[in-house]
Amino acid sequence: MDLPVSTITLSTGLALLLIGMWGMLTQKNIIRMIIGFSLIDTGVHMIMVTIGYLSGGTAPIINDAVDRLTALQDVVDPVPSALVLTAIVIGLGITAVMLAFAVQIHDKKKSLSIENCTESKW
Amino acid sequence: MVEGLLAPINLIIAALGVGFLLPLIARSSASIARGLFWLTQVFLLLISSVWLLRLIDGAPAVEVITAGIQPPFAINLYFGLFEAFVVSAVNLSAILGSWYLIDYFKSRAASMSVYLILTMGISGMVMTRDLFNLFIFIEITALATYGLLALDKRPASLAAGFKYIIATSLASTFFLLGTMLLYHLTGTLNIDDMLLHMDRITGPVGLAAGVLLLVGVIIELKPYPANGWGLDVYETVPAGVAAMISVGVSAGAFFALYKIVPLLGDFLPVVAAVGGATFLASNFIGLRQRNVRRMLGYSSVAQMGLMTLALAVLYMLGKSEYVTLVIGGLFINHLLAKAGLFWLAGVVDRPRTEAWVGLRHRPILLVILGILLAALAGFPPFPGFWGKWELIMQLSAGELPFWVFVVLLGSLLEAAYLYRWFGFALQDDETRAPAVEPVKLIPVGLFALSLLATGHLVADWLGLEAPRVLVPIYMGIILYALDGMPGRLKALLVLGAFAVYAYPVVMGLEGLHWLFGLILLLGGGVIAFAVLHRSDARRGFYPLLGMLLFSLASLLEASSTLEFFFAWEVLTLSSYLLISMGRGAREHILTFLMFSLGSAFLILAGFGFAYGETGSILLADLSKVEKSATLVFMLLTLGFLVKAGAAGLHVWLPGAYSEAEDDFSALLSAVVGKAAIFGLLLAAMHLAVNGVGAINQVLYVVSWLGLISALVGALMALFQEDVKKLLAYSSMGQVGYIVTAIAVSSQLGWVAAGYLTVNHLLFKGLLFLAVAGLVYQTGTRLMYQMGGLIKNLPMTYISVLIGIIAISGVPPLTGFGGKWLLLNALFDKGWYWQAGLAFFASAVAFLYLFRLIHTVFLGQRKQAHKDLREASWLLLFPQILLIVAIMAFSIWPKLLIDPIASSFAGIFPEALIWDGTMLKTRLGYWDGFMVINIVAGVFLVPLLILLFLSRFMQIQKVKQFNIVFAAERPETPETTHYAYNFFSFYEKALGPLLKPRATAFWDGVSEWSHTIGSTLRVLYTGNGQTYALYVLFYVVMIYIAVGGMG
Repeated sequence: MDLPVSTITLSTGLALLLIGMWGMLTQKNIIRMIIGFSLIDTGVHMIMVTIGYLSGGTAPIINDAVDRLTALQDVVDPVPSALVLTAIVIGLGITAVMLAFAVQIHDKKKSLSIENCTESKW
Repeated sequence: MVEGLLAPINLIIAALGVGFLLPLIARSSASIARGLFWLTQVFLLLISSVWLLRLIDGAPAVEVITAGIQPPFAINLYFGLFEAFVVSAVNLSAILGSWYLIDYFKSRAASMSVYLILTMGISGMVMTRDLFNLFIFIEITALATYGLLALDKRPASLAAGFKYIIATSLASTFFLLGTMLLYHLTGTLNIDDMLLHMDRITGPVGLAAGVLLLVGVIIELKPYPANGWGLDVYETVPAGVAAMISVGVSAGAFFALYKIVPLLGDFLPVVAAVGGATFLASNFIGLRQRNVRRMLGYSSVAQMGLMTLALAVLYMLGKSEYVTLVIGGLFINHLLAKAGLFWLAGVVDRPRTEAWVGLRHRPILLVILGILLAALAGFPPFPGFWGKWELIMQLSAGELPFWVFVVLLGSLLEAAYLYRWFGFALQDDETRAPAVEPVKLIPVGLFALSLLATGHLVADWLGLEAPRVLVPIYMGIILYALDGMPGRLKALLVLGAFAVYAYPVVMGLEGLHWLFGLILLLGGGVIAFAVLHRSDARRGFYPLLGMLLFSLASLLEASSTLEFFFAWEVLTLSSYLLISMGRGAREHILTFLMFSLGSAFLILAGFGFAYGETGSILLADLSKVEKSATLVFMLLTLGFLVKAGAAGLHVWLPGAYSEAEDDFSALLSAVVGKAAIFGLLLAAMHLAVNGVGAINQVLYVVSWLGLISALVGALMALFQEDVKKLLAYSSMGQVGYIVTAIAVSSQLGWVAAGYLTVNHLLFKGLLFLAVAGLVYQTGTRLMYQMGGLIKNLPMTYISVLIGIIAISGVPPLTGFGGKWLLLNALFDKGWYWQAGLAFFASAVAFLYLFRLIHTVFLGQRKQAHKDLREASWLLLFPQILLIVAIMAFSIWPKLLIDPIASSFAGIFPEALIWDGTMLKTRLGYWDGFMVINIVAGVFLVPLLILLFLSRFMQIQKVKQFNIVFAAERPETPETTHYAYNFFSFYEKALGPLLKPRATAFWDGVSEWSHTIGSTLRVLYTGNGQTYALYVLFYVVMIYIAVGGMG
């Protein structure tokens, strides 16, 4: 069976996204929720990369190996790959802040359960 | 060099650069770091405001190209007028808001950099034209916000912060996915470039991309019900941070929505629905909220919903040229008012609304709170008023009555909880006045002033005769500045200024306006003269009195519906505040405000639908309305009937009229209440005279409603012990006759209406002023505690006597003419049943009027009252003027009837003929001059005989204690007073009829609204996971709503 790389990355990305959401919605432990978020984030990054990927395409470097006129059809779109780098950095930052909150919450409440975070409601 | 410094890109560079340097500098010197922090903020504000001024002057917008490459290949930023406006407003809020975070900044230098970066992130969200770059700025803003959420280390703040992070990080993930899908379809990230390739955004991927992008932005605006996390944050974080999230971060998110709206063509109805649902639901839930900050949170969320609704609807209708006024007005209004309120909540630091008691004793604090709340509730002259007005006009013109209803209902609910809070602040409790450092009030005071200034600018910009509509406001401000002067001097100043202003106004009016010019302005001036009787300073009273009197003048000068509505709202607000000064008024002021606003909104909707049909806001063009004439007339009439206290809509009236300060009650009942009559006649003149549509049926209903009010008012007055309440119910009843007379819609009817109006002004002004003197002297309002006062207050006795004869409709005084004209009009119209009821109701009126004389002035005097003296001559003087007027009109009715008839000339066929002093109609004649002569004769002859006899006969005058008391001493002696519960036998007979049905009904409405609020808010469980689930549901919901399933 011939499975293109893009199909694999796309389905893996979607799977990670869904697993991450499942984790965020079902796990009561704040750390586990954060892991869920990381999975969502990674899933999205994989989807992003897939969007720019061209099956069988070559690296987006214009040299002798690539015909300038047909380059648009031959090379992989470099923009999503560039963007994904930014997105990864941002995702890292958010994960770090989330973890910092988790530490603080644990310090104050001696608990990591999201169910203990319901002081304000209504 | 200077130009280089002022380049808009520096908004980002400077904040980012200094932001990262600050923690390093703080290591060597904390004070240098702080100085740099403030300097940078000033610099940011300087750049944005310099550009704002330049762009207003017509300079071209700035395109910022990055990396030396043209878009769409590199990121570009755009800095046009809107951008400059929003960024300047946000920078200003940021710089003033950091004033309230100084303590946090001192303890941790890093928080200053986070704060700078937050401001920068918002500017970036506003300026960028690149979708991915927008995502970056959203995330920068988000990260900086998270940093500030952790400033306060209380567990509740941390928990709320974590929930906030979960929800917003999910939202930005959606935004990123949507962006990437759009890139996939269009091959570009540049928003303008995407707009050129809209045809490529199709199919399921296009739909999914749109939904994800929209949800990503909408969630940042905290739509119901996916917004519990936002409210938790508003409730728990430091006030300065809450303010920044509410106005700054939301401004960025809203601007992002504004930018992507053109990409979302087909989604607009859904966006409108999301906004409308949020606006309505949040305001319902706000009703249940007693925590100040969370309540402000609900209001913030609601306002964002309103702006979302407005934006989507204006684009749907193709009226994007109104975005500036509607969205701009609502935006700046919310920014200034909400930031100010959050700051104030932080300064006063009392979490519960009911704990704000005592603010009344901090006048500056109270004025600031009053301005901020009035702006948020959409009162003039603040920018939100103009925005909401134009929104309603455009919604009506776009034939979206449902949205008109939603916007007005939501606004009413919002006013309800905001003013309930204000009601606590108005309560009198000196011991609980908050201690506040004056410097802390500088930023919030600046914002209150900015609200006034922007309100003026908008009025000016609209090309209204701005100075004219704003006169009452200016009057209020000037008089407030002079509030330190002695009371009587201020009173003279108000009255003098009013006389100088009102005289040329009245002279310039004609027809109906002229008649009401005399009633409202001359009558108002005469009755307001009574305020001179008090010599105390009455802080705040005179500025508001000035506002009220001058707004009556503006009401008459108004040539457009906008000016009329403006004046009407100023009148409402100033009456509300004046009533609130009454000692026992606090239970009644909220009811008063709710009904007044309800009335104002009905009128606004009426004006809106009129504009929708004719495209004109001129009052004169109301007569061009044809298709929707019935609807417009019904809305206007209903609105004015609320203020006229028609039965069923009257529940606000007794409390307000009786609990206001005594001299103001007179003005309220005799003059201010007449503004509603003016409105009714104005609406009828333009819309009802032609009788198009079903207007005649409406008039028929109104005629019954008026008489039912007359009867209910009279019956309720019968059983009052409180003399002012008696007069209040009496006002309701008497105005009922006027309403019926207007509904007759003939020359006779309207002359009767005009006559009754003038007469009511005279006798009710007279009675309320007389009672003011009485209450002032005796210190009580309960009639059975008075008695035998005829000798102590003889002039007041004469006033009351003349007043009740004039009211009761018996010859020879003016009341007879009114009843005669009314009955003539009703018979002439063929409304015999109404005529019968009118006759019966006026007989009932006689019973309660009798008590005023009998219980108060006759009978036994109380021991404690034996040394009472006559009321002040300053109070008696206006009464004498009114008596003179009553007598003159009684002797020469032509003096009154001729001008009234002439002001309605040419509208109806003539039905009144004068024959000397005799007035003839189709049904009979009346000669007022002859009647008074005969009556005088009938009274004079026995008087002369008695006087003559008393000189020759042995007469022993009965002294008060010449009577023998029985030997018993009852437990509660006052209940044995003959005047106590005087008409109890009628009460027994009429019992079932007199249950307070209307009050019960409106209590039910209030309770139901609260129940709706409780039901809607059960979704807010406080659990962060549930909130994340709502965010996910939101995607699904929007997807289904835009047709993703079909």
